[in-house]
Amino acid sequence: MRSRSAPWVLLAPFLVVFIGTMIVPIVMAIGYSFSSVERSGLLGEGGLTNSFAGFENYVKALSNANFVESIGRMVLFGIVQVTVMIVAATVLALLLETANAKWPGFFRATYFLPYGIPGVIATILWSFLYIPGLSPIVDVLGWVGLEIDFLGPNMVLWSIANIVTWTYTGYNMLIIIAQLKAIPGELYEAAKIDGASGFKVAMAIQLPLIRPALMLTIIFSIIGTLQLFAEPRLMQTMSAGITSEYTPNMSAYAFAFQYNDVGMAAAQAVIIAVSAFLLSAVALGISSWTEKRR
Amino acid sequence: MKPRLTRRTALAGSGAAMVGGLAACAPPNPGNVNAEAVIPPTDGPVTLSYWAWLKDLQKVADIFNQKQDRIRVETTWIPGGNSGGYAKILSAVAADGGPDIAQVELRQVPEFALAGALTELNRYDFAAQADAYDPGALSQVKVGEDYWAVPQDTGPVATFYNREVLEGELGLRPPATWQEFRETAGTVSEAGKNLITLDPSDGSYLISWIMQSGAVWFRTEGDGWIVDMTGDASMRVAEFWDEILAAKIIGTGYGAFSTPWMAAAGEGDVLASIGGSWADALVQSVPDAEGKWAVAPMPTWPDGYASGAHGGSAAAVLSTSKHPVEALEFLTWMCTDPEGIDAMIEYSGIGWSPAKDYIGETRQEPSEFFSGQNYNEEVILPMAEDQNLDWTWAPLMQRAAAIVGDGMTTAVSGEVPLVDMLPQTQTKIVQIMRDMGLDAEEAR
Repeated sequence: MRSRSAPWVLLAPFLVVFIGTMIVPIVMAIGYSFSSVERSGLLGEGGLTNSFAGFENYVKALSNANFVESIGRMVLFGIVQVTVMIVAATVLALLLETANAKWPGFFRATYFLPYGIPGVIATILWSFLYIPGLSPIVDVLGWVGLEIDFLGPNMVLWSIANIVTWTYTGYNMLIIIAQLKAIPGELYEAAKIDGASGFKVAMAIQLPLIRPALMLTIIFSIIGTLQLFAEPRLMQTMSAGITSEYTPNMSAYAFAFQYNDVGMAAAQAVIIAVSAFLLSAVALGISSWTEKRR
Repeated sequence: MKPRLTRRTALAGSGAAMVGGLAACAPPNPGNVNAEAVIPPTDGPVTLSYWAWLKDLQKVADIFNQKQDRIRVETTWIPGGNSGGYAKILSAVAADGGPDIAQVELRQVPEFALAGALTELNRYDFAAQADAYDPGALSQVKVGEDYWAVPQDTGPVATFYNREVLEGELGLRPPATWQEFRETAGTVSEAGKNLITLDPSDGSYLISWIMQSGAVWFRTEGDGWIVDMTGDASMRVAEFWDEILAAKIIGTGYGAFSTPWMAAAGEGDVLASIGGSWADALVQSVPDAEGKWAVAPMPTWPDGYASGAHGGSAAAVLSTSKHPVEALEFLTWMCTDPEGIDAMIEYSGIGWSPAKDYIGETRQEPSEFFSGQNYNEEVILPMAEDQNLDWTWAPLMQRAAAIVGDGMTTAVSGEVPLVDMLPQTQTKIVQIMRDMGLDAEEAR
């Protein structure tokens, strides 16, 4: 009997915090997303009542052009940024793990270094490299006749993508390297005996065997893309191209704390969470489907 | 055998808890303090808390604290408005806590009232002291006949410009009318510089220019709102800026006082900013600008007002305050007594004074930075005196400003001109107000 209650007693401190800071807010957010407010008087001074709204907030969120646009923007961002980053991380990892790589430890640490810099600091740092008049990069591009407005409405999304890629490529590279290290040496020996080139080894042995690591980094990156908030929110003050509903998360923030529409904000947050769940499930599904077909 | 907690029963249990939780929770609703009885003054000492993003506000409060021993004011610094301050205030009020007084931007006051976060001040006889305030400041905290906050600093719009480059180098004068503005902006643009630059996503500039033109976007009628964004006064401003944007004679990459603006202004590539009077302090951080910049009135229309209002903030008594009478007593001292105004200017660097007849002692002297110009008395004072007093802020200005900002952004790329944006925005805003549970209709 005692052994049966022991795990619960030991778990209790964790459960209290977990329920208080994770489960309750989630339940409340879902609750808010189904409610709407009715007011009487110019500013609601005549009284206000909360009522059950059904899926009204969800319908409004999905028919709000700004929110839909922000989702589109995020999807575009994800497709380009995640692809570029994963390819870069894989190439870096493979290069660092080749037998004749020089100082692999030093370069591994160097590539990983940006991950140690908080996103907010990274954004401030990069934005100084984007601002015309302050940035040496803009100056140098100007000398060779390239006028690039990094903070312009069409460009700023890719300026943000650059910051995110810079921050996380090394981190993803490290996950892939960890899996590469787990490949047994006999496979390389066998390949060597068969006369396989370095390129052939990478394509036929390393890439197939690091699939789980790639899958993991891709799912992390998809979730990271859905959470896009700090970088655009910070750059908002510097770029005219970033509106207050630029990404879905910024939109939820704006509705909650600027437009004072908690129901709508909660509905948007739930949509973001469900999308993250679905996208991860789809990514895993594709992965296991291709696995089975091989 | 005792029933064991299996995974299935745990799941079913948490599912039931979830459904119960869903039924029980509704968004925070701070109650209806303005329908309840007024709170009488407290006997004995009272401690008031005051959340604001003004710097060194405690030094201002300390002067008041030393004058008498009944009320003690303690201030806490919070991040400015949208940078997190509002979220903090509203969350605190929703949890039935929070300070007695909070700083809220003027245009944001009705939105806070709508959230149930404010105490209506007429219930504590604020109207009796209304004469002590600058009418332009007071009109911004008023909705219908109700006063929702005490104005604390305002921003009558004026032109801040680089005299050395505009007058000295280019031989131009700061534009006195909008007609002249177009010509001046064109000439400056030909010289490879910008007269002003705009962050099109910041709707507040366009709104202050439309306010100056004489428009009243939001009127109250009984318990309802009339939204009128397409009157002549609004449309002439829209047409004017459509032409300016099409001609590409001003910069649209970044807004005034942003980091890139500071760099460009320091180089003499951006020559002016037309905005709230609080800009004087910001202009002083333009690199190497001492003695080169000056202040001129806002460009005008043949009819309309001398100036518009841009920015500024109020001190609001929150609906959770237990001491509204004492809070009002302190705020009356801070915002109308010369001692309070001077302290706010000296320590907190506020914008224009909210008091009727007192602009502050230091503001009656010439400024060394602005090349010896006595700009406060000569320029800003007339701007503060001729304001559009009919203008009323609506309880969705964040949203409205964002929509106007989005509209400006599409206007810059030439997709939807402002003359089409305003009617679309009017329809949209009426719909949003109705969704918020308010009674609203478009002006006919």
